[in-house]
Amino acid sequence: MSDGGVVHRPTDVPGSAPQPEDVRLFARVCARDMDAFEALYGLYHPRLARFLSNLLHRPSLVEEVLNDTMLVVWERSDTFRGASKLSTWIFAIGYRKAMKALRRLDEPVEDRGMDMRLSEEAAPDAPYGHRRTQEALRAALGRLSPDHRTVVDLTYFHEMGYREIAAIMDCPVDTVKTRMFHARRHLRRLMDGELADWL
Amino acid sequence: MGHVLPFNSDPHRETRELMPWLITGRLEPEERARVEAHLAGCEECSHELATERALAQQVAGLSNATGTSWATMRARLDTAARQHTLPPAPQPFRRRFTLKQIGTVLAAQAALLAAAVTITLRIEAPTAPYHALGSTPAATGNAIAIFRPDARESDISRLLKANDARLVDGPTAAGAYVLCIPEDRRAKVLDRLRDSAVVMVAEPLDTAALK
Repeated sequence: MSDGGVVHRPTDVPGSAPQPEDVRLFARVCARDMDAFEALYGLYHPRLARFLSNLLHRPSLVEEVLNDTMLVVWERSDTFRGASKLSTWIFAIGYRKAMKALRRLDEPVEDRGMDMRLSEEAAPDAPYGHRRTQEALRAALGRLSPDHRTVVDLTYFHEMGYREIAAIMDCPVDTVKTRMFHARRHLRRLMDGELADWL
Repeated sequence: MGHVLPFNSDPHRETRELMPWLITGRLEPEERARVEAHLAGCEECSHELATERALAQQVAGLSNATGTSWATMRARLDTAARQHTLPPAPQPFRRRFTLKQIGTVLAAQAALLAAAVTITLRIEAPTAPYHALGSTPAATGNAIAIFRPDARESDISRLLKANDARLVDGPTAAGAYVLCIPEDRRAKVLDRLRDSAVVMVAEPLDTAALK
């Protein structure tokens, strides 16, 4: 990093809201500062990796799509106009890249027939022990459609509001609410018995 | 709290749709009031909320061990940069020019060259008592700014003058401008720029960062 690894921080004046770390770094990325880009990459990597792991459910693809996403951030930084939060813009790029990767794999991105099919399938082997709770939940999430997985993860892990999720997924707000509603219903069905143990 | 607006349709369904964002504290105040008012009188939905909280907690707690992969990213950036700098592959001639056509093109180029030389000589003839911008020592930028796309040049100019800041370079490919601000006032000036309606981003910059 430049200056011995120190990220430049503007002096915050009392009374004025300090800019978020990612915005400060991004401003330097716009000036083609590679050190700032490395820091921005480090800042976003854990969140994007989690988001993409959940969406793609293919560990081998996560790093490739994550780097595709950050390459766009580096090369197309001029297209960010500040109309949304920087994180929304970056996650939206990640979402588009991931969906594109899934389409290449011929993965159904919107599983409209899920309601009926799930009701016909046997629930995952039950009951699970507490040690297997996370695996069970991960498996249940894996059985959701990518769009359903995305809204669940963006809501509960990334704690985003439905408007921000709609901006990332480029869909109406009501669609986000409906997807979340159905995703939760599927999860509960798939996790039958488990939820009672958590309460 | 004032009057709580009623739900548009099925209050149970709407409450359950909004529950996730009630749990994460991301509901608008009005929506929150509406959902909480319904929950206060609906045992079934309250039970649903408890189950939903458990689910939310479990999803948020899913571990996801990942290591950063900056080395791979850096290698991709280097590859992309090399691809951008590669000269374009020579295109095969789609058709052969006749000697007459080549002669016409050469004659046109010669005429243009002659015109350019004449114009240049006329411009340079009187020795102007000024220095070309390039002959002055290059001002060193110590900040960058990105202005709003709809910002007017007059507003930007007024803002910079008022803060004793000068544009010394840009726009970069990303639309950022390099500014020169008196070093002893840089932090304060940057704060004033950030407060301005025409500035999207204003950040300090060391010259090394641009190299």
